[in-house]
Amino acid sequence: MDITFAQYAWFAPLFPLAAFAILTAMGRGLGRAGAWVATAASLLSFLLSLLIAIERLGGTAEDYTGRIEWLRAGSIMLHAGYEVTNLTSLMLVIVTFVALLVNLYSIGYMKDDERISVFFGYVALFTASMLGLVLADNLLTLYICWELVGVCSFLLIGFWFRKPEARAAAKKAFIVTRIGDLGLLLAILLLYWNMPNHALDFTSLYNVFHSQSDTLSASLTTLIALLIFLGAVGKSGQFPLHVWLPDAMEGPTPISALIHAATMVAAGVYLVVRTFDIFEASQAALAAVAIVGAFTAIFAAVIGLAQNDIKRVLAYSTVSQLGYMMLALGAGSTAAATFHLFTHAFFKALLFLAAGSVIHAIHTQDIREMGGLGRRMKITAWTFGIGALALSGIPPFSGFWSKDAVLAAALDESPWLFAVGVVAAFFTALYMARLFFLVFFGAPRGDAKAYAHAKKSPAVMTVPLVILAVLALLAGFVETPWNEWLGSWLSGEEEEGGINGLVVIASVGASLLGLYLGWLFYGRRSSSGNPAAEKASGLRRILERKFYVDELYELAFVRPLAALGRGLDAFDRVVVDGAVRLAGRSVQAAGKLNTRLLNGQIQAYALCALLGAVLLILAIAGRRFW
Amino acid sequence: MLEDIPVLSILTFLPLLGTLITLLLPQSRVRFIRGTAIAFTFLPLLLAIALYVSYEPIVGGGAFAEKLTWLSIPLNTEAGLADKGATSYRLLFDYRMGVDGLSLPLVLLTGAVASMASLASVYIRKRWKLYYALFLLLQTGMYGVFLARDLTLFFIFFELTLIPMFFLIGIWGYFGREQAANRFLVYNGLGSAFMLLAFLILIATAGFSATETASGTTLSFSGSYEVLLANLADPNAAVNQDSIMYLSDNLKWTAFILLVIAFGIKLPIFPFHTWMLKVHAEAAPPVVMIHSGILLKMGAYGLLRFGAFLLPGQLQSWAPVLATLGVINIVYGAILACAQKEFKLVLAYSSISHMGIVLLGIASLNEAGFEGAVFQSVSHGLISALLFLIVGSLHERAETTRIDELGGLASVVPFTSGILLTAGLASLGLPGLSGFVGEFLSFLGLFDSYPWLVAVGVLGLLFAAVYVLRSVLSMTYGPLPDRFAAIRDVRFVEALPMIALTALIVLLGVYPALMTDMMSHSFDGLLKLLQSKVGG
Amino acid sequence: MTMLGSYLTLAAVLFCLGLYGVLTKRNAIIVLLSIELMLNAVNLNLVAFAKYGINASLRGQVFSLFTMTVAAAEAAVGIAVLISLYRRRATVNVDEYDELRR
Repeated sequence: MDITFAQYAWFAPLFPLAAFAILTAMGRGLGRAGAWVATAASLLSFLLSLLIAIERLGGTAEDYTGRIEWLRAGSIMLHAGYEVTNLTSLMLVIVTFVALLVNLYSIGYMKDDERISVFFGYVALFTASMLGLVLADNLLTLYICWELVGVCSFLLIGFWFRKPEARAAAKKAFIVTRIGDLGLLLAILLLYWNMPNHALDFTSLYNVFHSQSDTLSASLTTLIALLIFLGAVGKSGQFPLHVWLPDAMEGPTPISALIHAATMVAAGVYLVVRTFDIFEASQAALAAVAIVGAFTAIFAAVIGLAQNDIKRVLAYSTVSQLGYMMLALGAGSTAAATFHLFTHAFFKALLFLAAGSVIHAIHTQDIREMGGLGRRMKITAWTFGIGALALSGIPPFSGFWSKDAVLAAALDESPWLFAVGVVAAFFTALYMARLFFLVFFGAPRGDAKAYAHAKKSPAVMTVPLVILAVLALLAGFVETPWNEWLGSWLSGEEEEGGINGLVVIASVGASLLGLYLGWLFYGRRSSSGNPAAEKASGLRRILERKFYVDELYELAFVRPLAALGRGLDAFDRVVVDGAVRLAGRSVQAAGKLNTRLLNGQIQAYALCALLGAVLLILAIAGRRFW
Repeated sequence: MLEDIPVLSILTFLPLLGTLITLLLPQSRVRFIRGTAIAFTFLPLLLAIALYVSYEPIVGGGAFAEKLTWLSIPLNTEAGLADKGATSYRLLFDYRMGVDGLSLPLVLLTGAVASMASLASVYIRKRWKLYYALFLLLQTGMYGVFLARDLTLFFIFFELTLIPMFFLIGIWGYFGREQAANRFLVYNGLGSAFMLLAFLILIATAGFSATETASGTTLSFSGSYEVLLANLADPNAAVNQDSIMYLSDNLKWTAFILLVIAFGIKLPIFPFHTWMLKVHAEAAPPVVMIHSGILLKMGAYGLLRFGAFLLPGQLQSWAPVLATLGVINIVYGAILACAQKEFKLVLAYSSISHMGIVLLGIASLNEAGFEGAVFQSVSHGLISALLFLIVGSLHERAETTRIDELGGLASVVPFTSGILLTAGLASLGLPGLSGFVGEFLSFLGLFDSYPWLVAVGVLGLLFAAVYVLRSVLSMTYGPLPDRFAAIRDVRFVEALPMIALTALIVLLGVYPALMTDMMSHSFDGLLKLLQSKVGG
Repeated sequence: MTMLGSYLTLAAVLFCLGLYGVLTKRNAIIVLLSIELMLNAVNLNLVAFAKYGINASLRGQVFSLFTMTVAAAEAAVGIAVLISLYRRRATVNVDEYDELRR
């Protein structure tokens, strides 16, 4: 048997895991050397992933699966395993590549933080879990890694733990995504008891659901699919569980790029892709995915228009783009979704890292206090611009091709979904133009001293930017309407190409219109200097408050739960414990009563004895006649 | 080698020997007393590990069995029995010990938690000699409970845990310690009374056995677990109305409900839980480590050992009730934990919530559930021991564990905060740590029969995330109040048990087969019985 | 056999009289005397059964002799206790004897 790299795929998560173990064991003593340990580990993983991917590109390699028995409870066997397919190898490359760049970038970004080795430890643990998630060959292993990436995200959001906002954001991220995780858990339990042989691995899922064999009833299939989708909704920040993702921007910016843009939040999409056989078996579930995705795409894009924090704008943009991916999945095209995931990973990571470069330079995240930075930070401005164009879907940038694929899939499914996608594309271009012009053009509006001190970022930060910018420009060519290489590689089937003129014209037109309006409002006018003159209309206020979703949740869930908690607490103290005390008291009272009866006089005692004897005699005599 | 010596008795009575030695030592030699106590706590742990290494899961269980006749009380010969050629007729109290896949994990848990608690006893500030003597005595009781194979012997060991615990709570606790100790004693005494009644019912009926010896047939009643198990499982033995061991359905139900109440108080099942809140809040940290880590598990163990194995029919009929109670425990405990301001009370309510998961596992009546229940017991034992270790360490430094007073501790005690966060994550069921496996197995087991209850129960996991993060983050994250700025992180002797417990939690979470393999075949007989009940 | 009924009736009457005295009289001396009455009722029963019982034998009469002896001892101890109580409390009213309460 040939030795293939795929056999050793399990080393990919092992490298960063070892780095995490080293960094944790050594504690802070390692200092900045720790950063290099983690970076070296991610480099090793990247190289291995690259080898695996190249091997698979040859097109001859078989899917490889390896597993061990994780837990056996009598007849119940649970496995942990990994699987290398074209899709997983693609994801491996994306994850390790972005992780490597983010590691490099963070060496510069985090160099003054005293807990730098802790930071790199967390990042390494995240990389390991994310790779585990990608490689998992069954749902349980995936779920385990799914939770682990969630906890790493939580740890990193709360990395600057002294800030109360970071604490709140970390808590919120964990709890909100956990709602989705519980859906996934229930789906796993349902699958376990309903699948033949209690199998949870993806191959069996494919066999069962693809063959339309009616092993599971239609309603059960829909239920399972919806529960899995609930998990994806939580992780990928889809409406209504999107609230955690913008708050998660309290974490260090490289983390936003790695976890909350490129990899972890895409895990929801990846999960749906992996279990797509289940979704395909249920039209209702697919429709739910499409509707939620489309709604999220436009909903988040609209909110993104009115945000003033550079990272929050990008965060809402991420939510919106993930909505696009879900839309593509709902329309039945895993290829388009994966493609968009692929390009989005690059340009969104690029945007975040560039934003981080800006924040690193002037120490504020409020775009109202920026402006004119283009002159001081040329590389950052150029690369950010490339990312913005890619995100807006302007040809020939990568985002154009993938968004085009998504919209084409949507049009196949329903014109309404397509229309929503196009409108969302318009808003996308608009908010990106607003962001770009406000940050890099016009006159500096913020602290003059900070502006004067703003200097170019070090090479260790700009090199990843440039690499990502090149990819954001070129990555789209793996799948064009003329050459659907990626899709056919992923599915293993030849797909027919073809260009849909309507889609291209609509999407490019919407994007260009958005960019133009953005330039009109923010680019041209900002030279005269006062974006705050934007009218604070009612609509705007609603947008700034993000449609009051947070407030609504506070009112609908948090407060009632807290009240319930207090109520039950009172119940526990007064009723349950009260009953206990009552029992105690009543025994005491009975004792007191007896002491009063027995007053110390022999005659009273004797009377009691007599009464007792009479009762006894009556009882004995009475039994005769019973 | 282990087979040749009465290893279980040695394991059980080593701490008692330690008690005696400690009592003989002079009061003033504190270090010496402490060293002796720690040594006599670690020796049984080593023995338990040796047991684990040489233990082979066998069908039926009861390895390393020991048996001695302890008391033999002649009974009046009834007229009917003489006809059957019986020469003697007696009531036997045997000394029987044995270990199987159900008790071995708990024995190991006892060893681990007790050892760590002995190290954590540096927080004890007064009357060391008495403290360590009682501490060791308590251990004999606990090992005995898990190893006894005779109802009477079990009862004696069970009671033996109450008395040292009463003093340990009442003398070395915080402000409200005496009330807490009284509550503990009253509740558990009541539970023991119920248990005794149930045991008497079982001994006086199904405890009957006839042995042929050279001098004739001996008829006896005894509390031998093996005899009871065989008689109650034998469809002909206990059903026949004329038989001396006839156990009517009414009596079976009485015994079962008595057992549920007795062990339910220990577990604790809502609404019998208020006593353990007081104990959690008022007793000294090492004592709570033992209490929450091991003593609560005796409830789960008893319920499985006697409720499930001896009376499977009743368990089967009551499974919905137990499952509902379990879900109530989970959700009720979790919601209340969200509302507490004192970290110790958060942990107390979270214990209630987690023990609800054990109930779910038992009520699921399948192997996944039973193993999940045991796994969850062990895992919760380790996690809550770790958490109370941290509580002790924090209380020592900050002199409060109220979550609204503490804050930002990660700045000054990063190590402790890290361990606290890990323990919290384990407690909320993060995969990769041991809490997840027990929860997953229990839910998996119950899902087969009561999916809706599980759907409600997983809400408890959500609330667990809320209360763990709410309390842990507000203690360790955020700005640091000035008055805590001077506190220092743990010393090595405190860090050691923390690291050891964390390592165990991670180990069991990453590779649970370490423990589940031990339990294989332990439930075979029971499952067969349950299946035959379904079939018939 | 009819004689047995008369003896038992007399004994019962005596016993009830004694019981009534023990429970109601305030004077300790009278209480002691009433106790003697009850004991004598028992003695009467013993003797009656010894003569007319199913297994008539001397055993009952011997028993009654024992009872008398014990009763005498008891009376002696009782009166001694009473005297010492009287010395301390200067009363023979049993209502005021409530030491057992403490």
